[in-house]
Amino acid sequence: METLPPFRVATPATIAEAVAAAQESRAARFIAGGTDLMVNLRHGIGAPDVLIDLRGIVDLHGVWTDLAGTTVGAAVTLAELAGDAALAARYPAVAEAAAAVGAPAHREAGTVGGNLCLDTRCVFYNRSAWWREANGFCLKHQGSVCHVAPTGTRCHAAFSGDLAPALLVHDATVEIAGPQGLRRQALDALYAEDGAAHLRLAPGEFLTRVILPADSARSAYAKARARAAIDFPLAGVAVALRAEAGRVAALRVAITGTNARPLLLAGTEALLGAAVDVDAAWLERLGKLVQKQVQPMRTTLLAAQYRRRVAAALAQRLAATLAGAASQAHAA
Amino acid sequence: MTHIRPAHDVVGRPTPLIDGIEKVTGQAHYTADLPAAGALVGRILRSPFAHARIRAIDTEAARALPGVHAVITGEDCDQTYGVLPIAMNEYPLARGRVRYCGEPVVAVAAVDEATAAAALRLIRLDVEELPAYFTAAEARTPDAVLLHDDKPGNVERAVHHRFGDVEAGFAAADLVREQVFRCAEIAHAQMELNAALVSYDHDRDQLTIWSTTQVPYYVHLMLARCLGMDMSRIRVIKPFVGGGFGARVEVLNFEIITALLARAAGGTVRMVLSREGTFLTHRGRPETEIRLKLGMMRSGRLTACACEVIQRGGAYAGYGIVTILYAGALLHGLYDIPAITYDGWRVYANLPPCGAMRGHGTVDVRFAFESLLDSMATEAGLDPIAVRRANLLAAPTETANGLRVESYGLGECLDWVEQASGWRERRGRLGAARGLGMACSHYVSGAAKPIHWTGEPHAVVHLRLDFDGGLTLLTGAADIGQGSSTVMAQAAAEVLGVHLDRVRVVAADSMLTPKDNGSYSSRVTFMVGNATIDAARALRERLLAAAAEKLGVAVTEVEDSHEHFRRAGDNAAGLSFAEVTQAALAREGGAITVKGTFSCPLEFQGGKHRGGAVGAAMGFSYAAQAVEVSVDEDTGMVAVEKIWVAQDCGFAINPLAVEGQMQGAVWMGMGQAIGEETRYENGLAMHASLLDYRMPTSVESPPIDVHIVESRDPNGPFGAKEASEGALAGFLPALINAIADAVGLRLDTLPATPDRVLEALAKRQRAARLARAMQERA
Repeated sequence: METLPPFRVATPATIAEAVAAAQESRAARFIAGGTDLMVNLRHGIGAPDVLIDLRGIVDLHGVWTDLAGTTVGAAVTLAELAGDAALAARYPAVAEAAAAVGAPAHREAGTVGGNLCLDTRCVFYNRSAWWREANGFCLKHQGSVCHVAPTGTRCHAAFSGDLAPALLVHDATVEIAGPQGLRRQALDALYAEDGAAHLRLAPGEFLTRVILPADSARSAYAKARARAAIDFPLAGVAVALRAEAGRVAALRVAITGTNARPLLLAGTEALLGAAVDVDAAWLERLGKLVQKQVQPMRTTLLAAQYRRRVAAALAQRLAATLAGAASQAHAA
Repeated sequence: MTHIRPAHDVVGRPTPLIDGIEKVTGQAHYTADLPAAGALVGRILRSPFAHARIRAIDTEAARALPGVHAVITGEDCDQTYGVLPIAMNEYPLARGRVRYCGEPVVAVAAVDEATAAAALRLIRLDVEELPAYFTAAEARTPDAVLLHDDKPGNVERAVHHRFGDVEAGFAAADLVREQVFRCAEIAHAQMELNAALVSYDHDRDQLTIWSTTQVPYYVHLMLARCLGMDMSRIRVIKPFVGGGFGARVEVLNFEIITALLARAAGGTVRMVLSREGTFLTHRGRPETEIRLKLGMMRSGRLTACACEVIQRGGAYAGYGIVTILYAGALLHGLYDIPAITYDGWRVYANLPPCGAMRGHGTVDVRFAFESLLDSMATEAGLDPIAVRRANLLAAPTETANGLRVESYGLGECLDWVEQASGWRERRGRLGAARGLGMACSHYVSGAAKPIHWTGEPHAVVHLRLDFDGGLTLLTGAADIGQGSSTVMAQAAAEVLGVHLDRVRVVAADSMLTPKDNGSYSSRVTFMVGNATIDAARALRERLLAAAAEKLGVAVTEVEDSHEHFRRAGDNAAGLSFAEVTQAALAREGGAITVKGTFSCPLEFQGGKHRGGAVGAAMGFSYAAQAVEVSVDEDTGMVAVEKIWVAQDCGFAINPLAVEGQMQGAVWMGMGQAIGEETRYENGLAMHASLLDYRMPTSVESPPIDVHIVESRDPNGPFGAKEASEGALAGFLPALINAIADAVGLRLDTLPATPDRVLEALAKRQRAARLARAMQERA
């Protein structure tokens, strides 16, 4: 067992206390479920002097629904989210994505905020200190070369959270607490396409809530992985589709596991207006959009080309299923 | 021989393991849990270089760190170790050269983990890097640097075996096909991390080790050798062990290192390796390339087999010679094949050493054989099961390479699998992308020739009876979860006609228990089981004699059953077990200890050719299985829907354990077939975690229907044979055959991960498109 570095644990009871605790130390880290952070700490990635445990903050818990939409606390566990029948009825992709994370034990511990702020992953990064040193470290941490793309200048570690794409297709907003108080922004704006700095959070900031607007689109999430439990997504795809009068009126596709950030697919508006009993050509166009925009690199043990193919295949499958359901509903 | 019909009802009944309660209630102490107040923490510095000459190691700063009690390097042990007396070429800590990334170079013992880790960071290695080879082909190039100076071409052993006239066989065949197959290297991924606790008594120069081992005796031998200690000063104890599967069938570097540290520190040291460290210790199944050629008649009868095998063995010898010999030897003994040639090469490479793993040496070759046989059956328009039936052996028989097959239940296994899986009705009719496949496999019941030949019996058991009427069975056999202690208790209780809970088993403590070679090659039930029967019979004779004396009748007149002794046919009360115990102890002068032994006769120890001992056994298990799969053609995911497996284990002494072992075997085969593989990047392990080494989860684990076939081997204890390895190998080809049935695609490379399957499907699609285009143009 690799030893943890020494640290203190702070247990704030309010958002304000958590913000204050973070300002006391430059090396503090927020923690909730710890399913990602603890593994990295054991690997010698980071040495925080304080871990600020956010789970005791009442305001970060709970799921509320009203006419405007649904608000989810950042400390809600993935198991709670996956088991929320009302949420599953309104935002199927979100519940499905929560249920697809890791294994039952990960979901019991892991939280919404943690999954959205998951560190990016790479086969050259998620390694022991001994391994990374033997390999000369890497651009993401302690080194200067990206072993995935040695001639490049940026880190290609892949974002691997399951929830983000499901929330993106439902146009989620996040609430962020920090030294400047609370602010809200689109979830999409939380991320940047840089594996070494993929989260646009200032020091001392943390997620408090996710807000989902009311949405009549139907959605679904599918995850490609070698094993049906435990594994991170090789590619995870969320699709939301709304039909009006037998036509595709809204289509949003978001993908995780292939880029340094969760990718909201651009250009789907070109696919709108088609009859909901979509044909092979329509699906082909969707597949091409995906294949063009995803950028899987050699960050997993399974081939990057596989992730590109399977992302497209899953997007097509989900879109076809959702469109099919809409088509049946229209016929009825 | 020792084949006796069960007279009582202790054997043949599903029996919960006698040490099961401790395990499921969390009371069992595994090596890492053993209480050892004040034990120092041992840690290992591993080589970051795949191949390098060591110029200097600076440990001065580490030694000076407060809290550090010992720092040792290769300088502290100049003795090699290994499992085969003819191939010991490894040092516990590297001397002069490191040959793989992860090889232990320095070890420290310190007061706590943080101090030990800090000490490792203070150590400086000065090396000159050498060219490193990560494939067998690279290592075998003519100008490659030799990993071991005495092994030209980096070949540890080349094997060339010729039995029968293969060329005539191919000439006579109606169908001859040849194909190359590849299997990735895999690891055991046993749940319990490698760990050792060693206590060294400086004043008495005595050492005690508790370790996660399957072979306490080999650990004992190698500690004596590497520490230069008399064996009587060493005590080896095997506590509860959380899985072996072959990972622990040879002494491992961390065991010797911990002992060296304990002696250097003059105290107690506990070493618990990380998951990465456990993976780096390796000894798994080697990356293997198989070129196989088979000849078949229109009837399905095989005429000849030519097989070439290349195994990438890693940096040291380990079990390598045995592995490459097994791969060829067990081409024989499953089917009746008139002619077989085998050429095998065990090759060194700059990677962690491979070793023995469940189904040792036979699994990858069986994958190739049963895959090619299946595709040839399809080509010839024959049913795959019918083709197997056309090639069955007729026991008793002796194979061309000298394997003696005394019992053979493969036909019955095939019958059950055919019926249970609905083979005739369902195969080919399961709908889109769903298929059924089958295959057969076999394995030895104990290597007939021990690795360390001493002239002693293959197994020795002591059985003690004292005033309390308790029977204490003392055995060196290492129960590693397979249930051997339960089997021994059952065997003794059966012969003596006593309740199972009258027997308590003391196992694997060199101070108390007779030597045993260990838990490998599925030898324990067979060999130690027979020794147990021998001991129990000896004790029973004593009890009958005492009962006869007390009853005033001749020994032949005494009837004993269910802890009761009486004159045959006499309905009077007779004697209780306690009364007979008292009489026997009075007669014998106190507590009785009897010895039971088992020796494997010379005629079962294999052919006379070089390497002929490997593969020889007194009994072989046989298995057949069918696998149902579905294939997702969009994602390449293969889902195993159901498994039907039948195995001839001779006789199931404990059917509950046999079923569990069979399920475990096919499940382990499934892991290798669908996902498990080691991967290296410039010699650095990319798979050394349970996230990256993808053994199946419960989600991938399908229902497994198990059927036990009992052929009653004349040599086995109560007719029993091996039960936990034989079914493994068959899974791999059964899966590949099922995929072929589902989507018409034959994979020649394992594991069948989704990327490989999707690529193969895409390749086929491209080929079809090309063919169409050509046709249109023509």
